[in-house]
Amino acid sequence: MTRLLAYNAIIVATAISLLGAVLLPVAIRRGRRDWLTLGYAAVYTNFVLVTVATLALVWGLVTHDFSISYVAQVGSRATPLFFTVISLWGALEGSIVFWAWVLALYGAAAVYFNRGREGHLVPYAAVTLLLVSLFFHVLLLGPANPFQPVFPVPFDGPGPNPLLQNHILMAVHPPLLYLGYVGFTVPFAFAVGAMLSGEVASDDWIRLGRRWTVASWGFLTAAIVAGMWWSYEVLGWGGYWAWDPVENASFIPWLTATAYLHSVMVQERRGMLKLWNLNLMVGTFVLTILGTFLTRSGIISSVHAFTTGTIGYYFLAFIGIVLVAALFMVAGNSDRLASEGRLDAPLSRETAFLVQNLLFTAFMFTVLIGTLFPLVAEAARGVKVSVGEPFFNKMSLPLMVALLFLMGVGPALPWRKAAGEELKGRLLPGIVLGVLFAIGVVAAGGRGAYSVLAFLFAGFALGTNLQEFVRGANARVKAHGESFVMALVRLVAANRRRYGGYTAHIGVIMVAVGIAASSTFKTEQEATLTPGQTMTVAGHTLRFKNAWGRQEKQREVIGATMEWMDGDRVRAQIEPRMNYYPTQQEPVPTPDVRSTLRGDIYLSLMAFKADGSNVTVKVIWEPLVPWIWIGGMVVCLGAIVGAWPGGRERGRAVATPAAPALAEGQP
Amino acid sequence: MIWHRRLSRGLTALAAAAALGALSLGAISPRGLGAQAPELPAAPQGAPQDTGALRVQVQGTLTDAQKNDPALDRLTSSVAAQLRCPVCQGVSIQDSPSELAQQMRTVVKEQLASGKSPDEVKDYFISKYGEWILLEPKASGFNLLVYALPWVLVAGGLVFLAFVVKKWTSAQPATAGGAARADDD
Repeated sequence: MTRLLAYNAIIVATAISLLGAVLLPVAIRRGRRDWLTLGYAAVYTNFVLVTVATLALVWGLVTHDFSISYVAQVGSRATPLFFTVISLWGALEGSIVFWAWVLALYGAAAVYFNRGREGHLVPYAAVTLLLVSLFFHVLLLGPANPFQPVFPVPFDGPGPNPLLQNHILMAVHPPLLYLGYVGFTVPFAFAVGAMLSGEVASDDWIRLGRRWTVASWGFLTAAIVAGMWWSYEVLGWGGYWAWDPVENASFIPWLTATAYLHSVMVQERRGMLKLWNLNLMVGTFVLTILGTFLTRSGIISSVHAFTTGTIGYYFLAFIGIVLVAALFMVAGNSDRLASEGRLDAPLSRETAFLVQNLLFTAFMFTVLIGTLFPLVAEAARGVKVSVGEPFFNKMSLPLMVALLFLMGVGPALPWRKAAGEELKGRLLPGIVLGVLFAIGVVAAGGRGAYSVLAFLFAGFALGTNLQEFVRGANARVKAHGESFVMALVRLVAANRRRYGGYTAHIGVIMVAVGIAASSTFKTEQEATLTPGQTMTVAGHTLRFKNAWGRQEKQREVIGATMEWMDGDRVRAQIEPRMNYYPTQQEPVPTPDVRSTLRGDIYLSLMAFKADGSNVTVKVIWEPLVPWIWIGGMVVCLGAIVGAWPGGRERGRAVATPAAPALAEGQP
Repeated sequence: MIWHRRLSRGLTALAAAAALGALSLGAISPRGLGAQAPELPAAPQGAPQDTGALRVQVQGTLTDAQKNDPALDRLTSSVAAQLRCPVCQGVSIQDSPSELAQQMRTVVKEQLASGKSPDEVKDYFISKYGEWILLEPKASGFNLLVYALPWVLVAGGLVFLAFVVKKWTSAQPATAGGAARADDD
């Protein structure tokens, strides 16, 4: 029953998306407003139908309806309810269902909020959204069908991948990733709408898509940081980023999206880079699909790769179609996209943005080429090679350091032209802070050129970005006689986009400092201890108390209790474990971490004697790592501030149904 | 003529995107996606499939002094960080908690203790597992591409930017149109 309901909902949704995508262009041609409304209704109906299918699949999981192929694949009666629900995205088919649902939701929302806008941009955007939806429906009916019948119906299933049910962050990371990834479809659809409707010369598609872009970017950032956190807390090697192909796949579109967020400002303010911005948006969308292709086709092995099969062909075909279509649309609009470039001076914020865009694009290519190179090398030479962490670290360090520097310079540079004296004043706080940071890291024993540079520029960027808040607030204190705190709040509230951006910068700096500190000063040691024995790592003493075992509902757990000592006092108990799942031969190592603002004590249980007489543990001192997670949250806060409706942009950026002409009449 | 110009313009504009499409297409053709299906889903791609071949022989030659020698430990870590754990997903044997990785670390340490240079130790593992075992491809021959391309792009981009900035700054000074807007983003 549930199976048929879900399956038929997808079939109908496929038909509706197709109908809508055909009807809308006809409605535009013939100028039929009523058909337009009907086309929009297709977008909403699609959302309702995909919601039905998604809920039905969740219901199937919860009720252990093993006659549904997906449930038989990932469900089990022993799995706790919570992990049963989130196993919706635990394997290929379910994750495509979830993707289709997020896409339908975004599509419906994007069309609903802009339904009253005059012109053909929104109808064509709706066509785009329907066509992308259609692609995912085809996947669900073809190579990734989760609703196949199973006969005879098994009594129980194997349960989800143990790695995915071992930590709570698995409930957070995938949905955030989908919200980010899929969200870029909306600004992409506006870009396509602008190209098809011939409105590409105005900045409207950028304004209409701005909040969606910032929100998606915020979700993607949060997803990447949550993924790092998950990897740190779960995988047991004490790192947070391994340049795994699929980590890269999420990072690559983030890089182009970040470049886009900055370069659109040049277009909005100076009318330049129109073609470039269009390409960045198309590229970001294509890269999200490429990322999904890499994850879902199993072409590159990784922690995340699910399965193999024919699905890769579908993705390749889709990427090809999007690229060819984009090529023709851009070519068809090339006359409208021509923009005269003019700069007043080489030293200006415009130039900083140009260099920033170059570095982000180069960074994207570095990661992309490195990720795909094993495939290329095997095709060209027939030799299997690996491109892993040491390569990416070596290549990306100079780029990251240069970007940190730019992040400090950019906000200090005024638009158009920088005057020497004023610039000096704006850069000074940053220079002072940067030098202090650099002295600090050298005093702490850091010697590598890159780590000193990273701290120098991190301090520099922190100084100039903080200075923007202070300078703005002081101006308000003078002008309005407000208290400093009140002035700061009003300043941010009145210029959300700008100060949201600076907030995000400060978050990125925290992430950078956390990464630089932990990779420079990380200390690790492995030891075999008997009860009562202690070991000391980077000045932190740990005592082994006892080893223990217990039976949990879906797994067996072996653990060791370690005491983090502060003199004779026990500061904290830390319990690294190994979890044994019945379906898995090897245990899943489950490290335990105690965080302080100065750093983490990270403990992994490596081996144990069955009688508990000794254990081997790995102890890692990870300085400043919590700042990566804090910084990630600050970046998201910046995105929220930047995307929050209202503020000075009200009416300028959003075409409300009540005032559709407003957006049209913008200069 | 017009179409030619337009198309070439679109082509340049989308060269980036097209290149990546071509890269992935070209890369896939030899094996074909469908052909991958029968492979063991859990085995890392490119890893030797016969687990027997994965084994390493720990000699047990380390003396107690060598076991607790911090300098040897550091050298071992730096070599181990460059070798891929054959049963994991792209993690080095230094980072992997797996048993095989632990054995491989011991072998690295034994060979270093016996006087082999880091390169000789790496060569030993290459002879056993193939080039695939190196987490960072050797910077020679075809592999130079992956090292050079990003920097070629950065250098080319910088030259291009310098040219563009020069051209745009020497153009007519902009009219006051945009200058009146507040510095709000």
